[in-house]
Amino acid sequence: MTRSYLGELELMVLLAIARLGDDAYGVPISKELLTFAQREVSLGSIYAALERLESKGFVSYSLGEPTPERGGRAKRYFRVTDSGGRALKMTRAALTRLWSDIPQLQGGDS
Amino acid sequence: MTDKKVNPPSSAVWLLRHTFPGYHNEALTGDLIEKFHEGQTRRWFWAQVFFASAVAALRAIRRRWSFFCYAVAGTIAQYIFEYTNALGQVSTLLRWNELPWPLSQFVFELSVPAIAALSSLSVLARGLLIARSFRWAYLLRTCIVTLVLITMLHFSTDVFPWLLRPVPGNPYLKVFIIPRSIQVLLLASAYLVAAWLGCPLEEHARGSEGRSEGPQQARID
Repeated sequence: MTRSYLGELELMVLLAIARLGDDAYGVPISKELLTFAQREVSLGSIYAALERLESKGFVSYSLGEPTPERGGRAKRYFRVTDSGGRALKMTRAALTRLWSDIPQLQGGDS
Repeated sequence: MTDKKVNPPSSAVWLLRHTFPGYHNEALTGDLIEKFHEGQTRRWFWAQVFFASAVAALRAIRRRWSFFCYAVAGTIAQYIFEYTNALGQVSTLLRWNELPWPLSQFVFELSVPAIAALSSLSVLARGLLIARSFRWAYLLRTCIVTLVLITMLHFSTDVFPWLLRPVPGNPYLKVFIIPRSIQVLLLASAYLVAAWLGCPLEEHARGSEGRSEGPQQARID
């Protein structure tokens, strides 16, 4: 069985979806990345990451209603799947292990 | 308020629709329009569209790398065969002069490009096998489209004679007005378009896949 890993942007997008809960579509995801990761990511890159996450089975989506302020286009709400949740936990565990007992970094606090 | 400030540039929306394929197109367009109505500028909108198009192009290249290998192999093969005259006797072996016109002309002029195209099909076949999307029908379709496009390119000077200009000092000799680099790009594009039309990858079929009406998001604790 092949395992899928998370890239940096994929990890951040997946975390943003998990934080947003039921309101996770393109615009709030990009705002979340800007607010909490100080990363201004274009919407095209976010959708490319979402497509990769979807192909790995880490997110699923449902369609909202089309609205006039979106030019009659429906929102696409994303949610983290069970395997996406497992991938997040595994990534966190791996990063925590890597961070533990790390020697003092130059220019860093830890 | 002017219409320009209320509505996003329609040409940018059109461009996005045609350059960012897939089932996320509508959602992306809607998101961009929503942010535009929140106060973003037309310049920002255009920048987002260009960036999305570039991302889509890179994704397409990564997904269809075998098509690009086919285009490169076909173009190189054709130029090698032509410059080295490696297949110089092919049209003679095919007895082109005994064939009725216009078949004789086709065989005489197109046997080398056709063999280059056929030989580079093996590169495409190998790529499709690696990508696990090999079908004999794809190869056959690509082969036919390639031959049609190469024929069209080859006889373009007969349809558009102004593409040729006489060489100064020799009124009988004419050269193509299109630079060599553009000719190479056109030939490679013909191979690429042929593979694109001949081998439909099943990406749009995923339109409803991934869709979920499930009530709960996975808990991350």
